Amino acid sequence: MGIGDAVLPDPVKFVLNWGRRYSLWVFNFGLACCAIEFIATSMGRHDFIRLGVIPFAHGPRQADLMVVSGTVTDKMAPAVKRLYEQMPEPKYVISFGACSNCGGPYWDSYSVTKGVDQIIPVDVYVPGCPPRPEALLQGILRLQDKIAGEQVSLNGGARGARAARSPERSTARVLTAPLVRPDSSP
Amino acid sequence: MVREEVTVGVGDAAAGLHEFPTTDMTLNIGPQHPSTHGVLRLRIVLDGERVVSAEPIVGYMHRGAEKLFEVRDYRQIIVLANRHDWLSAFSNELGVALAVERMLGMEVPERATWLRTLLAELNRILNHLMFLGSYPLEIGAITPVFYAFRERETIQAVMEEAAGGRMHFMFNRVGGIKEEVPAGWTGRVRQAVADVRSRMPDLDGLIRDNEIFLARTRGIGVLTPEQVDAFGISGPVARASGVDFDLRRDEPYLAYGELQESLRVVTRTVGDCHSRFECLLDQVYASLDLADACLDRLASVTGPVNVRLPKTLKAPEGHTYAWTENPLGLNGYFIVSRGEKTPWRCKLRSASFNNIQVLTELLPGTLLPDLVAILGSMFFVVGDIDK
Amino acid sequence: MTDLPGGGLARGLLITLRTMGRRTGTQQYPDVQPALPPRSRGVIGLLEENCTVCMLCARECPDWCIYIDSHKETQAPAVEGGRERQRNVLDRFAIDYALCMYCGICVDVCPFDALFWAPEFEYSEYDIREMTHEKDRLAEWTRTAPPPPAHDPNGAAG
Repeated sequence: MGIGDAVLPDPVKFVLNWGRRYSLWVFNFGLACCAIEFIATSMGRHDFIRLGVIPFAHGPRQADLMVVSGTVTDKMAPAVKRLYEQMPEPKYVISFGACSNCGGPYWDSYSVTKGVDQIIPVDVYVPGCPPRPEALLQGILRLQDKIAGEQVSLNGGARGARAARSPERSTARVLTAPLVRPDSSP
Repeated sequence: MVREEVTVGVGDAAAGLHEFPTTDMTLNIGPQHPSTHGVLRLRIVLDGERVVSAEPIVGYMHRGAEKLFEVRDYRQIIVLANRHDWLSAFSNELGVALAVERMLGMEVPERATWLRTLLAELNRILNHLMFLGSYPLEIGAITPVFYAFRERETIQAVMEEAAGGRMHFMFNRVGGIKEEVPAGWTGRVRQAVADVRSRMPDLDGLIRDNEIFLARTRGIGVLTPEQVDAFGISGPVARASGVDFDLRRDEPYLAYGELQESLRVVTRTVGDCHSRFECLLDQVYASLDLADACLDRLASVTGPVNVRLPKTLKAPEGHTYAWTENPLGLNGYFIVSRGEKTPWRCKLRSASFNNIQVLTELLPGTLLPDLVAILGSMFFVVGDIDK
Repeated sequence: MTDLPGGGLARGLLITLRTMGRRTGTQQYPDVQPALPPRSRGVIGLLEENCTVCMLCARECPDWCIYIDSHKETQAPAVEGGRERQRNVLDRFAIDYALCMYCGICVDVCPFDALFWAPEFEYSEYDIREMTHEKDRLAEWTRTAPPPPAHDPNGAAG
């Protein structure tokens, strides 16, 4: 607790959040069918750069927003969590499509994680299988509304409901942790 | 001499590294990596920049579809079959419908057959356009993907108008298709096909003879006909190596038997990355012609588009194997029924699973930058590999 | 064209230049709503009056994402001295859109035309629990359902 955690006054909050909501560098966790619709959204016809979503993040470390589009399998889940942890605060997650919302068509499969929100916190859920590009745009608009209402503090991390939900902030130890090895190396 | 151990991971979850007691470098590409599409993971051993061995590690997208087929009735299987190769959803559901119809000995109305053929060809165009855009993107040419998606949106609009879905059409039913297409739809399809045909030269001219693209792809990753046979490779990847095999011509299903004069099977003989790409590109033109031929026939074919099904559909005891020429290659369903509502077993033979295995033979000896070019030119869908 | 060195590159640049002069095809979504075809599978609406609680949709759903609760009510006989009748009353009808895979089987199998597709898509949520739409919300979707398009005259009548 220090001065950095103090809640900033409204005009500052407005400016900071205004900047945040219109420069969302997005990292597409493209896993399955929904990734194709994500790509369609980034193309000329729907063009989410209009909304300030920038799809040129080289990796999770440069991204503010992760769009999990597709089926998260139990084998893939550690990678999703790890990449999420590599993203700097403040970070946002959109769960795009039925599979990442809660398993979707594979709700009774032995190998599918039943929703990405079991491993990482999700800000906006977009329904559809796959959702149409406009649905992703609407999800992004809702996320921007949410960002606009956020409390902010000097040390970057968004406070309020978001901090309460994920109490353990990524520490340097977490981010530089060695690779997770499976029990039996293939 | 002191030997060093160098182990490097690229891409996330580069887990399970072996420590090699050599100076060779083990490089993990994937499962999430910007230069590949999907979550295929490759474990390659590098000697300098040269690949010594490569092993595709599959399973990051394994969703257990075959097991799920066993607890779903045939209509529900169609829903799920859509999704293993998400770029050729219509062709996937078609295979299931054909298999069950064969087990039931069901006659499909003529109009349904022609509509299915038309939609299957439109789906083939959609699939190929995706790869025509993404393959140049993977090796550094960003522009073509925008043109490819413009055409995709044109075709997707008419597909959505008929089927209601942009990607997962869910338009096949056992015994035909779900319902008659809307009035005026065939005219709009004709317009869409004409639009795409008129704009294809843009995409074609951007990339086919681009010197940089040629330098990256010509003579790279040559696949021999012997390898094609040995690994059971099919589809455009096999045809680029001179293996002239296309189920639409060699074992016609749907209405392809009557379309033989319009059907042009695109082949190449070189078998390198560029000829694989050209096969896909020319196949789009061929499919556009086929779609027009289907539309010509649909103008005169009348009648119902499906047959009345019993309340619970049970395939008789027995088994069958139905294969179709999917955009990416042979796609087959082996269905074993014990006379229940659900199949006892449904084996899925997917094109990408076979196609991708040749990487273990194709990659050793190539340079690391060529790896991406070769990987992209195998035209795989990860869901089709892992099922 | 490709005989010249760099001809392929020049042609590509020419195409880009030509495209630059063309009209853009970008849809201005939040300002302009997309025109969606009537068959578009966006959301399922419920017409509660038509539902007889036959449970066919819930049983045929590959995802089991439809929740139906009902109770039986005894109706007074229609004529004097007649027999009392039992009827099902719908208490709850909910569709979990987080799980729904938009296959349309429930709309297909409904024998009483109580379920409809509407092309709406704007219902993403902050909380996954709100993705389960109860029957009031499903009834609202029904109001946006367009009439089905006319069939191609080449098809069978009806």
